[in-house]
Amino acid sequence: MEAMEVDSQKTLQRKQSTYNSLDEAFFIHNEYYKGQQYSQIYYVRLRMMRTLLHSLVPLWKPHVPVCTILELEGGKECIIVGTLYKHMKLKPCILDEYSKERSAVPLVKPHNFMHPDDHLVLEDESGRVKLSGTVLLPSTYVTGVVVALLGKETDAGDFLVQDVLEAGLPPQIQLPLKSREDKYVVFVSGLSVGSSTSNPLQFQLLVDHITGYLGDEKEQSIAAEIVHLVIAGDSVEIPRNLLNGQNLASRDQSRLFEPVKELDIFLTQIAAGVSLDIMPGSNDPANFSLPQQPLNRCLFPGSATYNTFRSCTNPHCFELDNVRFLGTSGQNIDDLEKYSDADDELDFMERTLKWRHLAPTAPNTLGCYPFTDRDPFLIDNCPHVYFVGNQKKYGTRLLKGSEGQLVRLISIPKFSETGVAVVLNMRNLECHTLSFGTELSL
Amino acid sequence: MNRNGNARKRPPPPQAQSAPPAKQQATTPTAAGDEEFVDEDVFLEETLIAEDEQNLLLQDHQLFASRLAKWTRPPLSQSYVSQSQSIIFQQLEIDYIIGDSHKELLPQRSGPAAIIRIFGVTREGHSVCCNVHGFEPYFYISCPPGMGPDDISRFHQILEGRMREANRNSKVPKFVQRVELVKKRSIMYYQKESSYPFLKIVVALPTMVSGCRGILDKGIHIDGLGTKSFMTYESNVLFALRFMIDCNVVGGNWIEVPAGKYRKTSKSLSYCQLEFDCLYSEVISHAPEGEFSKMAPFRILSFDIECAGRKGHFPEPNHDPVIQVANLVTLQGQDQPFVRNVMTLNTCAPIVGVDVISFDTEKEVLLAWRDFVREVDPDIIIGYNICKFDLPYLIERAQTLGIAEFPILGRIRNSRVRVKDTTFSSRQLGTRESKEVTVEGRVQFDLLQAMQRDYKLTSYSLNSVSAHFLSEQKEDVHHSIISDLQNGNAETRRRLAVYCLKDAYLPQRLLDKLMYMYNYIEMARVTGVPVSFLLSRGQSIKVLSQLLRKAKQKNLVLPNVKQAGSEQGSYEGATVLEARAGFYEKPIATLDFASLYPSIMMAYNLCYCTLVTPEDVRKLNLPPECVTKTPSGDTFVKSNLQKGILPEILEELLAARKRAKADLKEAKDPFEKAVLDGRQLALKISANSVYGFTGATIGQLPCLEISSSVTSYGRQMIEHTKKLVEDKFTIIGGYEHNAEVIYGDTDSVMVQFGVPTVEEAMKLGREAAEYISGTFIKPIKLEFEKVYYPYLLISKKRYAGLFWTNPEKFDKMDTKGIETVRRDNCLLVKNLVTECLQKILIERDVPGAVQFVKNTISDLLMNRMDLSLLVITKGLTKTGDDYEVKTAHVQLADRMRKRDPATAPNVGDRVPYVIIKATKGAKAYERSEDPIYVLENNIPIDPQYYLENQISKVSTNFPVQPLLRIFEPILKNASKELLHGSHTRSISISTPSTGGIMKFAKKQLSCIGCKAVLRNSERTLCSNCKGREAELYCKTVSQDIFASNVLPATTVAVEEAVDDMETEWIKIAQ
Repeated sequence: MEAMEVDSQKTLQRKQSTYNSLDEAFFIHNEYYKGQQYSQIYYVRLRMMRTLLHSLVPLWKPHVPVCTILELEGGKECIIVGTLYKHMKLKPCILDEYSKERSAVPLVKPHNFMHPDDHLVLEDESGRVKLSGTVLLPSTYVTGVVVALLGKETDAGDFLVQDVLEAGLPPQIQLPLKSREDKYVVFVSGLSVGSSTSNPLQFQLLVDHITGYLGDEKEQSIAAEIVHLVIAGDSVEIPRNLLNGQNLASRDQSRLFEPVKELDIFLTQIAAGVSLDIMPGSNDPANFSLPQQPLNRCLFPGSATYNTFRSCTNPHCFELDNVRFLGTSGQNIDDLEKYSDADDELDFMERTLKWRHLAPTAPNTLGCYPFTDRDPFLIDNCPHVYFVGNQKKYGTRLLKGSEGQLVRLISIPKFSETGVAVVLNMRNLECHTLSFGTELSL
Repeated sequence: MNRNGNARKRPPPPQAQSAPPAKQQATTPTAAGDEEFVDEDVFLEETLIAEDEQNLLLQDHQLFASRLAKWTRPPLSQSYVSQSQSIIFQQLEIDYIIGDSHKELLPQRSGPAAIIRIFGVTREGHSVCCNVHGFEPYFYISCPPGMGPDDISRFHQILEGRMREANRNSKVPKFVQRVELVKKRSIMYYQKESSYPFLKIVVALPTMVSGCRGILDKGIHIDGLGTKSFMTYESNVLFALRFMIDCNVVGGNWIEVPAGKYRKTSKSLSYCQLEFDCLYSEVISHAPEGEFSKMAPFRILSFDIECAGRKGHFPEPNHDPVIQVANLVTLQGQDQPFVRNVMTLNTCAPIVGVDVISFDTEKEVLLAWRDFVREVDPDIIIGYNICKFDLPYLIERAQTLGIAEFPILGRIRNSRVRVKDTTFSSRQLGTRESKEVTVEGRVQFDLLQAMQRDYKLTSYSLNSVSAHFLSEQKEDVHHSIISDLQNGNAETRRRLAVYCLKDAYLPQRLLDKLMYMYNYIEMARVTGVPVSFLLSRGQSIKVLSQLLRKAKQKNLVLPNVKQAGSEQGSYEGATVLEARAGFYEKPIATLDFASLYPSIMMAYNLCYCTLVTPEDVRKLNLPPECVTKTPSGDTFVKSNLQKGILPEILEELLAARKRAKADLKEAKDPFEKAVLDGRQLALKISANSVYGFTGATIGQLPCLEISSSVTSYGRQMIEHTKKLVEDKFTIIGGYEHNAEVIYGDTDSVMVQFGVPTVEEAMKLGREAAEYISGTFIKPIKLEFEKVYYPYLLISKKRYAGLFWTNPEKFDKMDTKGIETVRRDNCLLVKNLVTECLQKILIERDVPGAVQFVKNTISDLLMNRMDLSLLVITKGLTKTGDDYEVKTAHVQLADRMRKRDPATAPNVGDRVPYVIIKATKGAKAYERSEDPIYVLENNIPIDPQYYLENQISKVSTNFPVQPLLRIFEPILKNASKELLHGSHTRSISISTPSTGGIMKFAKKQLSCIGCKAVLRNSERTLCSNCKGREAELYCKTVSQDIFASNVLPATTVAVEEAVDDMETEWIKIAQ
């Protein structure tokens, strides 16, 4: 801000907004691994979702009876509610590592395990039944989604699905109308400081733009309307080649730490001016399974001294001037991409909202803490902004719900590869990108 | 039922068998006084305790009886009933009984005679029992010179007298039926004359052959000739086999008895639909060709039993009841069983598609099963370990319960099933104890025995065999909970029944999948022995059968050589060229001799009857162009003087194989294809076993001159090939590089032509094969098949390489002699070896492989290894006291028995264990521990043991370290580099949560950065390390992330570690 005083007559005042963290559900406080099983999560999930679906069924198919899988009778039309299980031929199995001989050529491409023979199975506490019919496409669904199905049991013992009911978008609090001024929130992900693709100059430009060191007065006045920055995961990349499972030489030890140090320097510059949230991602020095706990503050000795610096969980949920944000660093969507099919990332995001679950594939294929009494990934309240970091490309869409819900979906690209950050205007939920190029084209 | 591996059943301990013999004695054939006769299938007619046939059926189970009726065989058509039709059937089993000779068919004979029984099935699915009369046992002796007809009849009388002396109690009217003078020739040695006088001695009963042989062996006094002992010929041929040979019947072929030539038996003795008598001369045997190569619709019964054992004990028939029997019956050639049922003791909830038949008492279950077997009338009984467990158990259980009428399971009325202990030993398979259960007229096929014979597997439990071949597993119900399930309700018994059914179903699936029926029947047809011989006997009987058949055609007889044991000494085996160990990064072409040993025998006319004894060489003065002197110094005549019969057998076998292969290409019908493929395989195996037969010193007719000549020729050929390759493919010879033979095995030579691509190597390989083949006598042929690239040659018989048959893409990784699947190695070693080979051969990343080994060793020492990779398993064959040497697994089993007898491993189980850290100097066997116990009590394992004994094992029975030998050709100082580098210096041992010493231990915190002991005010870091939090945090987290990449299974553990860190760090940060 001092810089601005030098350049211009009038001081631009950065706009303020009220921040309210809603990460409580994603914190792991007293839980620890003591041999719990993962079945509990599914149990809780099914119980919560079933109550919800049962309340929707009378509106959907008023006169069809609801029954459990064990009560199914051949030929009788009914509704069953349960958790989907997708039987996948190509899904890698950890036991194979122990039981099978390694084949010379890997059988599957590691990025997608879909196969035309995949089929769905529905499960509840009483039993499981194989699903058939063309209504429910195995390519769309994944293991762990709870749905209500209308159909009947065939002679072969399958359940022929005639119609599907998903939970749909959760209820949403009214978008506050009173704020009629432009306030911007910047999203960035995949900074990958320390990787070969990351360009310090590019990042510095971003920092300078946000803090208002760049551009003319007009541009600075826009920069002054940035009230918040969200860093959605994968901020550093630790040089893997130093690691070989053996003890590190102390020289390498400090090299390992270089990227974090560099990141801290950048973040200190930002935190001095703008409030920022940093979420851990799959490459960050944090725990692996979801919900990822905040990056330890000791990693950021510089920026952590500012109260504008917040280290958050992944997934991350917060309110800014009563606008509700929900987002992840991308693992949930990446995993859906491995086990199901859609046109783009936004479709996957839309599905998770309609299934009312951030990460249905956890704990099956996505690492997750074995909760016993709750499923923190259930979405009870519809956010106004739903963002996912570390995606291949930028994308956005406004999703309208059946009850008037309005959600801005944003897929944030990797900054280190694209040089793109996303800016959201809280006034109207409009979105645009900021591109930073450092190529000198003369 | 699960039989092996983690078997829940084990053979009953010896004392359990003490009861049956008493009962058995009554049913053992009385005529067979001589111990030697045990070998022969002797059945006497027995009359059972007078018992009304009607009583045998369970009357109070009308429902059951009506079910049984559904499953009977199709009724006979009118033409069969009126006997106006020829009976054509496929025979499966041939045995004989001793009965009265048939008065109508053989009016001139009286007294007891051997009657051949042939069991089989017609095309329509009728069961057949054919009694063949008039075939007499006989053997030959060479006729002493100058014996006239009078001398022969005198000889006859003397022999008759001696026989009568030896068998005083016998009521046989005439022991020696006839002595005939015949013109024959011994198969041994080349002889100038085409025939010599022999005496054919025909005796009354097959059991007398050996008695008679004994008398003749010892010597017999004949007036005018003095005391003379005779060498017998063909006196050791089993009677049933003798019949098959003389009537040209081969195992599993079709037999026809024309209408009018057979008579229905006056009193039917069997349960077969068609039972008749005929003369042996009327039996027409059809060669398995065309229409007669097909299979009759046999009924195959697959069954399994469950027993309610007591806690901690393996089921024993004198204590534990049989609670369920599951049965599946399938018609040969159909893919679904037509009968599926399970018989249960006490009620059982219904199972879809299965007849659940419940009974109140065990007696009813057993009798129902007997009735079921009789009504369904299976031709083949299969199962898993039925011979050693299920069948003997049922029979012994019935004995315990006093159900005398139970063991009538065969096709002969009133004939009880007998159990006897047998041992089967062969050089190939080792000695195996088993039980022989004779169920007359039904072939037993125990899948476990077949598996053990035909496949080398790490475990033979039904579960792992199914997983291996069918990629299907079954629910494993531990035998300790079977009783609980049985004592539960109808639902728990249903679970047990489903399990039991699965156990009956899997053997059938295996039988289908592995085409056992086709392969074994074809093997029987090719070699001419009954199907049952294939499982119960070794290789030599197959060759003997072919030899006898061929000899009969040629008017030759086989001497009965006294089994002299291994006195004859051994001969030099196959040679292997010196292996030039190394890692070859240029393509290595492999030149193979196609069926080398059979070809040598054919090329040089090596046979019993072409061998010239050293004396004869001098005496006969054979022209040199007519004889071959083999490199081992033996002399054989060439085929222009005398064609050998072994070469002739081999020629026929190989020609038949060629034909079968050609037919296979043309065949469309999948069943026909299956038959033909089975046949060509059988032919190949048979051709290769001929050589072995001549070399088996304790075999039927060993002839070391032949086998040592064969191997010496083999050696010569390998040397010859090497020389030719290295002389021709040189730079001087106009080629780009000098070729180099790097290794030669029994029948292959590995050549490095020096060319850089697979394609060029293939071209040169083909050229070399053609060129060298031209220098050999036909049919010896060198073939080029494959290229190894790259090729890791470790030592002789140990190598690994990528296998190429076309220049575009490699087919697979081929390894030999590198035990990656040794059962007593832990998984860690196996993974390490495979991963290293993968890295070296496929990824061509030798430094990567070295790094991988180092990391793994470091992980092991740092206690980052998943425990499951360290588990070693060993089979428990005896209890602790019976072992002379203390071994780890036996000691552990004893200790576990003391902890909890119910879950402790029993004899027959495989015991898993890990080696734990213990006091210094403790023996390895004292340090074995149950992996589960180790996990529960957090006992530290001993990484040093694994490093020294598993990874770099040096021991007497395992001469080369599995890992080091891979690296030795690649890396200098492999052992030093891999096993003693800096990566072995940091060690971490988990702290035990039990043990006395821990009570005195005081816990102290040390600094994560520098390991200095922390003072009270400090937490996690000492004052000197303050400020390095971020760095240390990063390091710890990233190293754990790395570890999780190496071993996904440990992710959870790592998570936990990170979590611990987290809490710790949260403390310092806040």
